[in-house]
Amino acid sequence: MKKKSIWIVDDDAIFKIIIKKLIQKSEKFDNVETFSNGEEALLSLNNIIDKNERLPDVILLDIEMPIMDGWTFMAEIDVNKQKFENQNISIYISSSSIAQEDQIKADKNPYIKGFLTKPIALDNLIKIS
Amino acid sequence: MINNIHKLVNWFFNKPKTSTIIVFVGFSLLFIYIAFQKYKIDSEHKRVEMRNTLNIITRNIDQTLKNCYTTTLTLALTIDNEGIPQDFNNISKKLLESNNSINAVQMVPNGIIKYIYPLEGNEAAMDLNILESKLFQKEAYQSIQNQKMYFAGPFNLTQGGQGIVGRLPVYLKNKFWGFSAVIIRTERLLNASGVNSLDKKKFSFQLSKINQITKKEDYFLPKETELTNTNYVSSYIPDGDWKLYLIDKNSNVLFKNFLFNMTLGLVLALTFAVFTFLLLKKPEQLQLLIHEQANKLIASEIKFKTIFEQAALGIANIDSSTGNFIEINQKFCELLGYSESEMKEKNFQDITHPDDLEKDLENVKNIKDGKIEQYSLEKRYFTKDGRIIWVNLTVKPMFKNNNFDEFSFISIVEDITERKKNEQLLLNSNHKIESLINTIDGIVWECDAKTFEFTFISKKVENILGYTAEEWLSNKTFWKDHIYQDDKESVINFCSEKTETNSDHDFEYRMIAKDGSIVWLRDIVNVVSENNKATSLRGVMINITKNKEIQRDLDTSFNLVLEQNKRLLNFSYIVSHNLRSHTSNISSLIDLIENAKDNDEKEELIGLLKSVSNSLNDTMTNLNEVVNIQTNITLSIEKINLHNYISNTLKVLSKQINENKITVNINISKDIEINYNPAYMESILYNIISNAIRYSHKERNSYVTLNFYQENEFKVLEISDNGIGIDLEKNKNKIFGMYKTFSNDKDSKGIGLFITKNQVDAIGGNITVESEPNIGTTFKIYIV
Repeated sequence: MKKKSIWIVDDDAIFKIIIKKLIQKSEKFDNVETFSNGEEALLSLNNIIDKNERLPDVILLDIEMPIMDGWTFMAEIDVNKQKFENQNISIYISSSSIAQEDQIKADKNPYIKGFLTKPIALDNLIKIS
Repeated sequence: MINNIHKLVNWFFNKPKTSTIIVFVGFSLLFIYIAFQKYKIDSEHKRVEMRNTLNIITRNIDQTLKNCYTTTLTLALTIDNEGIPQDFNNISKKLLESNNSINAVQMVPNGIIKYIYPLEGNEAAMDLNILESKLFQKEAYQSIQNQKMYFAGPFNLTQGGQGIVGRLPVYLKNKFWGFSAVIIRTERLLNASGVNSLDKKKFSFQLSKINQITKKEDYFLPKETELTNTNYVSSYIPDGDWKLYLIDKNSNVLFKNFLFNMTLGLVLALTFAVFTFLLLKKPEQLQLLIHEQANKLIASEIKFKTIFEQAALGIANIDSSTGNFIEINQKFCELLGYSESEMKEKNFQDITHPDDLEKDLENVKNIKDGKIEQYSLEKRYFTKDGRIIWVNLTVKPMFKNNNFDEFSFISIVEDITERKKNEQLLLNSNHKIESLINTIDGIVWECDAKTFEFTFISKKVENILGYTAEEWLSNKTFWKDHIYQDDKESVINFCSEKTETNSDHDFEYRMIAKDGSIVWLRDIVNVVSENNKATSLRGVMINITKNKEIQRDLDTSFNLVLEQNKRLLNFSYIVSHNLRSHTSNISSLIDLIENAKDNDEKEELIGLLKSVSNSLNDTMTNLNEVVNIQTNITLSIEKINLHNYISNTLKVLSKQINENKITVNINISKDIEINYNPAYMESILYNIISNAIRYSHKERNSYVTLNFYQENEFKVLEISDNGIGIDLEKNKNKIFGMYKTFSNDKDSKGIGLFITKNQVDAIGGNITVESEPNIGTTFKIYIV
């Protein structure tokens, strides 16, 4: 089975280290890219699409981030939906929030495949791969 | 004597028809008599006039005849002794010249006309023997016989025309010689007599003679007027046996006049009679009129008497000086329970209630003084059995014989005891209602639907708003004028709108009380309408100031709770995001440590775990600080000098300010003092100014400006910069949130503004932000 590419969008440096380790352990991904906020990820994504380079198969998106948070990122995706529609990118929210409203908000968004509550278990990571 | 005249006059007046006839007959007789007398006098007068005229004529004719006689005599003297007239023609000529009434002269010796002068025209008479002429002979012989001159004729002359021949028998030596004759033309004779100068219209003249043969009277002049028995005067001339007539041509004029006068008299008499009749009739008519009036008067008197007696009102005639009842009707007596005779022994003072007497007497005095013409008052009487009755008394003066000084009073009384009772009941009921209204814990009112002019307001208004009811009602626009300025327009509009649609309404607004305070009222309004048109409004104003205060407190509490809730929610976020992010990391790390392949990896993971632990510690410390701020109820508020605190903060931040080349403008007076918690002020200034420095625009001359001013009830500390700014469109709700950072700056912790906000709120103020990316940010701290 072909290994996938995964992007981590999160401002928490420690989480990024942890998730990298877990990704490594899962052995499902051959490419990991990390971004500190939505803006960085969006810029990169646009860039890749324009250059027709390898797109991520999975994006783990945090909600609370400086500059551009998770929801704003999703809104930007929605604005340019033609561009992203057929790219087959699975976006998952990964948040420490246990607030019901965040869960509901995520469910309502058609581009969000699922909601992963931190800490993220290795099994879950394998599941979404 | 006078009595008799009176009787006579009365007799006339009583018998107008008879009197009229008497007057008519009397006057008729009188006028006829006068007419007759006049007629008689006129007749006599005329007769005398005629007689005189005729006398003159007769005398004139006589004179003419005498002249003729003289002429014949003169002629006779011409006869000489032989019986031959001498110088006949010359003498005759002279005689004719001297007597123009003579037409011709003749000498007739022995009855035969032998001499004629003038001969011309008289030739036919020559040689005529008058003694043998049948026409002349009789008179000729008569003349001879009488030896007097005799005038024969008149008759138609042989030489033409009518004439008279006067013949003087001439005797020569006592022997008849013949005649000396003159021929007078009748015309001339009459001329000479003056007949022609008679008024032809009035008179005519006639000459007649008894015909010797027929013995009838012959008239010689044309008969202009028929002779009657009375219309002429006549005289006789013996020289010619002539009868002269002066005939009145208008003899019947007098009679006509007489008839006319008589008629006039009768007409006059009739006129007098008619006038008399009318005159006599007039008193009778007047008498009739008087009689009628008298009847009416009697009827009227009876009527009034009846009214007076039967009236449902008490009526009395009262002596103006004593107050005694002169006349009093049945009703009046009934009212008081006295009999009429009892009443007539009393005066009004006796029966009037002493409390009402003074007023009554004052009015009486005013009438007497002429100050008033009448008066009415409600007063009390004592009845015979001691009860009190209420009456409405009307008093008017009744003048005696048009003398304005002498009068009595007409008093009319109406029993109003029952009405008074009802009034009292009504009054009591009104009192009850009023006291009820006044016990209502609200202002009961009524006003005009159009103008909102109040017609009633209960006394409660004084308790609630401080104004007296009188004050309120004395000003037409009082209500409108005292609505709180901010509510006025909407309240009046709302009220007008509701009134227009006849809908009752219930609303709240503020009014300014007399002491200047604002009172909240709830006004429950009923629209009173007639024919579907609002006429008035009635309502109750309830003081709801306390409710409003409570509500405000409640609102404040609510806001507080809301704020607390928000903070709590925020806190839950903090817990969920920040604490959980750490704990989840810890949990993940521990998992990794447990499954670590080697010690190196374990060491690395433990290092990470330490770092997470430190972060967690920081977060806990921050949260502790926030909790401290939020739970610090007994926060010390001191008077602090704002400028000093700003200076201190700038000192602390001087290094960063210098490094970033920031200009700081402090537009705040040095003596401004505010009430604030000193530590919080330090923290707030530090956080905002340090933010301004941190997020200053690196490519421009950055500045930070501090202003201080009053805005409504708040003092405002304004700190603005020209830094990079924040897109508030996106981050509006987040800027004061915990751990919200908006840049990748490594020093951004997302805690400073969160703490600042908490501190400002804790003091009871507010903080706002305005910002635009790349232009700058302005914070406003509202200080109570």
